[in-house]
Amino acid sequence: MAYEWDFAFLWVLWPHLLVGLAGTAKLWAVALICGLGIGLVVGIFRTAPSRILRSIGTVYVEAIRNTPGLIQLIWFYYAIPMVTGWQASAWLAAVVSLSIYTGAYSAEIYRAGIASIERGQWEAARAIGFGFGAQMRYIVLPQALMRMIPAFGNRAIELAKATTLASTIAFGELLYTAKVIAEDQMRPLETYTAVTVIFTVILLPVSYGCVWFERRLARRGGVHRD
Amino acid sequence: MPYDWNFSIVLQYMPQLLWGGLHTVLLSAACIALAVPIGVVLGVIRHQRVRFLAPIAVVYIDFFRTSVALVLICWCYYALPILLGVNLSTFTAVTIAIGLQASAYLAELVRAGLGSISTGQWEAARALGMPGTMRLRYIILPQAARRMIPVFFLLVVEVVKTTTLAGIVTYPEIVYEAFRVSTEVYRPVETFTIAGLICFAFLFVTGRIAMRLERRYAAVER
Repeated sequence: MAYEWDFAFLWVLWPHLLVGLAGTAKLWAVALICGLGIGLVVGIFRTAPSRILRSIGTVYVEAIRNTPGLIQLIWFYYAIPMVTGWQASAWLAAVVSLSIYTGAYSAEIYRAGIASIERGQWEAARAIGFGFGAQMRYIVLPQALMRMIPAFGNRAIELAKATTLASTIAFGELLYTAKVIAEDQMRPLETYTAVTVIFTVILLPVSYGCVWFERRLARRGGVHRD
Repeated sequence: MPYDWNFSIVLQYMPQLLWGGLHTVLLSAACIALAVPIGVVLGVIRHQRVRFLAPIAVVYIDFFRTSVALVLICWCYYALPILLGVNLSTFTAVTIAIGLQASAYLAELVRAGLGSISTGQWEAARALGMPGTMRLRYIILPQAARRMIPVFFLLVVEVVKTTTLAGIVTYPEIVYEAFRVSTEVYRPVETFTIAGLICFAFLFVTGRIAMRLERRYAAVER
């Protein structure tokens, strides 16, 4: 028998999906900001002159990138209450875990971006008496950041996808909301199809935007405008 | 209060966790086995700009690259059986979801690999009188494959990480087994620490192999 599609119930329940989407957006935004901050610090660690700082950075990046995000999320969900004594909160676990996850990947973007700046820039900065911090802050990072933008865009897309992991610890994001609706209405086919479409409609333009920006950068030959 | 760690009780359940790990590897292998043929064909279609098929390949690749693995898994597990009117095992459902998504990533890898081979190679093969498929099969693909293998290993790492989502739809892989162990011994943090270490060991080694291959193949080409 052919299945009879019926999206009518979603027409009624769309405010719920919207609330779920708002949860996704909130988690995405907070984790992205924290992750980019952590990544900046670790990325600088990874390029710092000190060997200890470099090793700390490497251990962090390798540990996070070589374990599944789901295991990290569940780990933080159980470990945070243990360390802090607070009650387990899905929101806190999701934000901490996704920030740390994004931090490791964006640290690599910062590192690659910093490494792409020619040695001469560092040397020139040192020649006029800048220390490591000042070289990084005033000379290298401003030039490197532009080149990193497409990679950060892709990272933001990956983070948006990763927020769905939070549905496993019952944080009210889009997929979790959809799961509740699908079970309530007994219409998984329409509900999950709708979620698939929502994600594609949102992420596809962003993805094209990244490609467009990358091409534009390449055409201009990086950011050499001097 | 300081938490007193107790790994010994969890270590007794090590065989169960490793058994889950084995399922993770099996599932990943199935996903890769599904992804490779589709990915190679789509990648060639994209690179050769085959008429009519290339736009379809673009839609397929863009759709799967921007869709969310967990949503695809839920869709294949809960929705696809209704659509097809047949029962799908969790293994099949997850393999379809992750395999198809991986094939899209692989197609882009194949396209980039083929694109990296200089046109001189194509021209030389044509000068020898080879027909199109033969040029691709004997001259271009072997060289492109060499360049693609290191990145392919990184794709494998991503696939293995993605298969841990299969526990959510009750496939008995490592996260699922870790949940069972942790409810039994009531030590979730220790259990998931060990599950994480097992994954780390496996993925770290795979990543190192990728790096070594990359260095070796780079040396050959120089």
